[in-house]
Amino acid sequence: MKSAAFRALCRFLIASLFAMSFQSAMAGMIGTDQAVAAASTQSERAALINTMSRSDVAGQLQLQGVDPDAAKARVASMTDQEVRSLAGQIDSLPAGASSGSGWAVAIVIVLLVWYFWK
Amino acid sequence: MLKGWLASPKLDARACAGVFRCALALALPLWLGGCALLLPQTEALRKDWPADLAQRIELDSVPFFPQKDYQCGPASLATAMVYGGAAVGPDDLVDKVYLPQRGGSLQVEMLAAARRYGLVSWQLAPRFGDLLREVQAGTPVITMQDYGTWPIHYWHYAVVVGFDRDTGKAVLRSGEKRRLEIPFAVLEYTWKESAYWAMVAVPPDRVPVTATETQWLQAVVAMERVADRQAARAAYAALLRRWPDSLNGAIGLANVAYAQRDLPAAESALREAVQRHPDSAVALNNLAQVLSEQNRTEEALTLIDAAVALGGPFAAAAQETREQIRKKTARP
Repeated sequence: MKSAAFRALCRFLIASLFAMSFQSAMAGMIGTDQAVAAASTQSERAALINTMSRSDVAGQLQLQGVDPDAAKARVASMTDQEVRSLAGQIDSLPAGASSGSGWAVAIVIVLLVWYFWK
Repeated sequence: MLKGWLASPKLDARACAGVFRCALALALPLWLGGCALLLPQTEALRKDWPADLAQRIELDSVPFFPQKDYQCGPASLATAMVYGGAAVGPDDLVDKVYLPQRGGSLQVEMLAAARRYGLVSWQLAPRFGDLLREVQAGTPVITMQDYGTWPIHYWHYAVVVGFDRDTGKAVLRSGEKRRLEIPFAVLEYTWKESAYWAMVAVPPDRVPVTATETQWLQAVVAMERVADRQAARAAYAALLRRWPDSLNGAIGLANVAYAQRDLPAAESALREAVQRHPDSAVALNNLAQVLSEQNRTEEALTLIDAAVALGGPFAAAAQETREQIRKKTARP
């Protein structure tokens, strides 16, 4: 069932869902994001890659235990650049968390620094 | 004054011998090689305190949310956001920044989550001075620190709320401590690992003192994607107060006003933009559209002709607008 074609279809459907939700409809007016992006002249290909990255990142967030709706909303609040920085990287990027054992190491460092620079 | 701060390390032969005998023989020469190598920014501040920085500042009224489990991300973000005027608590932010499998929060998500509450997120330049400047301007700064030592990382978010030049210490809301004082040296040592990552989340009517025009505009556009229109409008207005010449700032303000159907406000922002930037096809196009919708077709056509004549990347869009305006005049 999980053939390559099936997966490709899923990807396409997810991507198109995202594309729909990010369209802005203001006939006649040129959008601020377009005006800002003019310098970097975003091609349609780049736009498609961005859309794909968004569904990718949303999928990765789900793998990290985030529920699907929350994942979608989280991705929606990121810029294209931020999405690209996360795509394929979520496992390796630093995630602020420390407590407990982290503090033991912290204390050692504080003591060392104090010792040498007091 | 430098006592308790950072006197440069001076090594005598005995200390050196002791050092080299110890198991950390490889690491310590680096440590002792001088602050300048290990803690360049602290050393630079010690030598030359920037003239625009106060001696001592502490934002006492910044709230404190003790972190639960591994959730320093939501706790730190709530600390900064509540001070910025958002009605939010750490628990509301858990499903916006926390990754259960990783047991932590990513930097990008910290920036992204604040936008959903109508605050503008700003990632600081990796400069100690900038961090202190933001605190001095009344904005708590979220930093990402690493309390581990290579190769183990203990990433941690904490909020800097004050500093004191005389004691050489920074004041943080961190983990379970409401008021954690740490020497600048320790802050830099732990902060350096994250490439000096720091952010603020400010209410839309404020612009961080260290913000730069182009990047701030991008920060506001990023917020506009997900926040409500009133917040976006306030943010563009504030941007224009700081940088009155910002073309895209004026276009942004007009677009939000237009979306709110406040056509007179959109018109006045665009008129100002056209006056300052007569060769902006976007400003001309949008002004023409706004006028056309107020049935001032003649004026709109003159403007849209000028926009089309300019050519450039928006020529096609301008032509389309012209067609629409003409169709409207053709109608009985």
